[in-house]
Amino acid sequence: MIIRREGVTGIRRPRKNKQETAEPPSTWAEPFWERGDFTHTHHANATHPYWITHITSLVDTEVLHRDILPYLNKLSFPTLQEVESVLPIEEKEITDDPEKIKDLLLRGYVWIRFSDRVLEGVLARAELDKSRAVSIPQEEFSVVGPKESFVESLTTNLNMVRKRLPIKELQLQELTVGTYSKTKVAVLYIDGVANEENVNTVLQRIKAIKFYQILDSSYISQLITDNSNSIFPQMLDTERPERVAAVLAEGSIVIMVDGSPHALIAPTTLVEFFSAFEDYFINWQMASFFRIVRLFSVLFSILITPIYVAVVTYHYALIPTDLMVTLVTSRSIVPFPPILEAMILELTIELLREAGARLPTKVGQTIGIVGGIVIGTASVQAGLTSNVLLIFVALAALASFTTPVYRMGNAIRLLRFPFLLFAQLWGLIGVAIAFIFVMGHLLRLTSLGRPYLEPIYPLRLKDLRDSFIRLPFNTQSHCPAYLQTQDKQRFTPPWRQKPRDIDE
Amino acid sequence: MQAHVNRQYRVSPYLAFFLIYKTQFGVGVLGFQRYISKASGHDAWIAVILSGLIIHLLLWMMYQILNKEQNDLISIHQTVFGKWIGNLLSFLFILQVFISGTTVLRTFIEVIQVWVFPLFKTWPFALVFLTSAYYIVSNGFRTVAGVCYFGSIIPLILIPTFLAPLEFANFRNLLPVMDHSITDLIKSVEEMTFTILGFELLLLYYPYFIEPEKSQKWTHYGNLFTTLIYAGVAIVTFAYYGEDHLQVEIWPTLTMWKVIKLPVLERIEYVAISAWTIIILPNICTAFWAASRGVKRIFQITQRSALLILLAGSFIITCLLNNRMQIDHLNSFVSMIGIYLLYAYIPILFIIYHIRHKMRKRS
Repeated sequence: MIIRREGVTGIRRPRKNKQETAEPPSTWAEPFWERGDFTHTHHANATHPYWITHITSLVDTEVLHRDILPYLNKLSFPTLQEVESVLPIEEKEITDDPEKIKDLLLRGYVWIRFSDRVLEGVLARAELDKSRAVSIPQEEFSVVGPKESFVESLTTNLNMVRKRLPIKELQLQELTVGTYSKTKVAVLYIDGVANEENVNTVLQRIKAIKFYQILDSSYISQLITDNSNSIFPQMLDTERPERVAAVLAEGSIVIMVDGSPHALIAPTTLVEFFSAFEDYFINWQMASFFRIVRLFSVLFSILITPIYVAVVTYHYALIPTDLMVTLVTSRSIVPFPPILEAMILELTIELLREAGARLPTKVGQTIGIVGGIVIGTASVQAGLTSNVLLIFVALAALASFTTPVYRMGNAIRLLRFPFLLFAQLWGLIGVAIAFIFVMGHLLRLTSLGRPYLEPIYPLRLKDLRDSFIRLPFNTQSHCPAYLQTQDKQRFTPPWRQKPRDIDE
Repeated sequence: MQAHVNRQYRVSPYLAFFLIYKTQFGVGVLGFQRYISKASGHDAWIAVILSGLIIHLLLWMMYQILNKEQNDLISIHQTVFGKWIGNLLSFLFILQVFISGTTVLRTFIEVIQVWVFPLFKTWPFALVFLTSAYYIVSNGFRTVAGVCYFGSIIPLILIPTFLAPLEFANFRNLLPVMDHSITDLIKSVEEMTFTILGFELLLLYYPYFIEPEKSQKWTHYGNLFTTLIYAGVAIVTFAYYGEDHLQVEIWPTLTMWKVIKLPVLERIEYVAISAWTIIILPNICTAFWAASRGVKRIFQITQRSALLILLAGSFIITCLLNNRMQIDHLNSFVSMIGIYLLYAYIPILFIIYHIRHKMRKRS
């Protein structure tokens, strides 16, 4: 066995890799790649001696020892065709194209030859596909329903989706993106349901990506999104395989990236971001109630501190006398104007959230307790902030976490600050102005060219059945209209069938 | 030149309801009662209904022209009056649209200055507001229609607040019905004009509907809804105020809101004025959209630059007007042009167009 340790792996230093690609093929006959984890072995003890070439860090040694070496040692004829036929591996081929060989070696193939003087050999796949085990969803946690979530391996993820949609119409287009990372990107849709225009838009945009590394699906989402300057996410990302299966059946398009535990769903609408997938596991009255609670909590979360600042700074006449007493007692020792008080508290909450997110879970919890109780109480007792505002800010922070999609929750928290500034500037009229800008922005947004505010604007009454409220399953007979699906009706709704008479 | 509009920029016909309703319902609601009751006192609500009926007729006339031509006012003017005179008339029309848009903004700023912030400067608010208008209009008619839609839906929550003054209302104020002459009523209808102006923009956005003919019923529904709301507000106002009291209230609607008291909210008029920011935005956006579109069609410049010029002009005019008298003059001026436009020009255009249409057919 010849192992030479020189330099580092080709993956870490892609520039050098590129130079080597330009090497003349004549030198390929020699052990061409002198790298730490590159192995070039001569098995002289076999019936017909052979050479094996592979990159150890990419090859599954178990496959090599169990499925390749025993068969090669028992060869009856020393031909490549014979090798190809005996190996119990699906993906294998005979080639002498240096580019192809190089490419396949870098993807975890084993190169088998009878002489190291020729290029022609069998390439058999023995890729090491290690990923963590499928676990419980962390971001989109649900109390009831399936508890599987995507992992970092595309194969495992595709398996979880395919298992839920065992139909031949489920199409998969695989693309390679990233000049250095060569990331596998899969575009999934159901043929005959998904709108072809949407599929083509997605494929076109992914093909047009000129970027060196794709390390997560969020890279793709940032690179192909309609308006990358918007704080609102225009593609829904999910870690739940059943959500992916559900939206595929509705006619959406799903983008999955190797190495990312999140699938991207497009096109999507603003309302989708406020529906948790758990809403479909509980009965429709509950689901509708929770969705409305979420909607109000979002409004509350954005507006409550700005309204507090506006009212306390300018419009104290708005507050009834009895309530005024409470407010004045609470604020009387605070030396700051309301805006400063609000900014301090809002930033403290952001600080706690960021610290909690960056630290390991156990430390994060401690930080939460320290921040929430100790800092909160202390700042009120020290007279830096008022009790009432502390309650509002804490509730607003809590409310922003009810958004089922993490990215949307972030957008909502950020949105609060321009509102606060406008509230300080012009009171309630400033809040209205900020609202106008947000409304104008949302009206301009599109997701894959489809309106983002649908079904509110343009108004589509049919889609309202699964938006702010969720009506029972037997009313959800049609695919959402914004997806412009080919096959619109999923089943005949019960009211089209003849009603049953009493006692018959 | 054909005003061909790509299908992807068109909107559904049902949005005509919101476009008509929203352009009519604006800053006028805050104070129209005093103007209309000057001439016909407590019978002015009849004038509201009458003007609603007249607008139904005018809408019908407009559709008779538009459906035949399948185009906007600028093309109609050109085919009827020839290129030069036609363009001149279109220009005057656009000027009217532009000035009424500016008036709405200035009047609203005045409301803020009187009711909320006495030391409120005109220019920063005008600047921010016109910026938001640019942000919306620059994305095209679909977004403008969307703003109209939200501007109609969101303030609907204020409608119940019009019922609160009924607690102190005296419906005998409305009696006896019809004790004013027809001339008095007509004067009130004239006064009503500024308030319900805005539907004439249909002449410009007609080609933007997917199937323009289908929008007719929606425009009529929209106008009906506006008339009902105005009539309702007028009746509540006349029942709430005595006739003499009403004459000294510049903004009767805002004063009426003062009676509402909620456990967490007193002085609801502050909230209402803030909400009115969202209500007048569509009026300004549609006005500037229509004006810039017209300028583009007449002068062959891009709509974006036309919009910027118009907004800058509006900003300057808004800042120059700084007292109640000037604003009132501007309001009556716009109202006067509106009267000529609605009650004289549209019927005349209707007649001339049909004569020309028949002549063309014969030849």
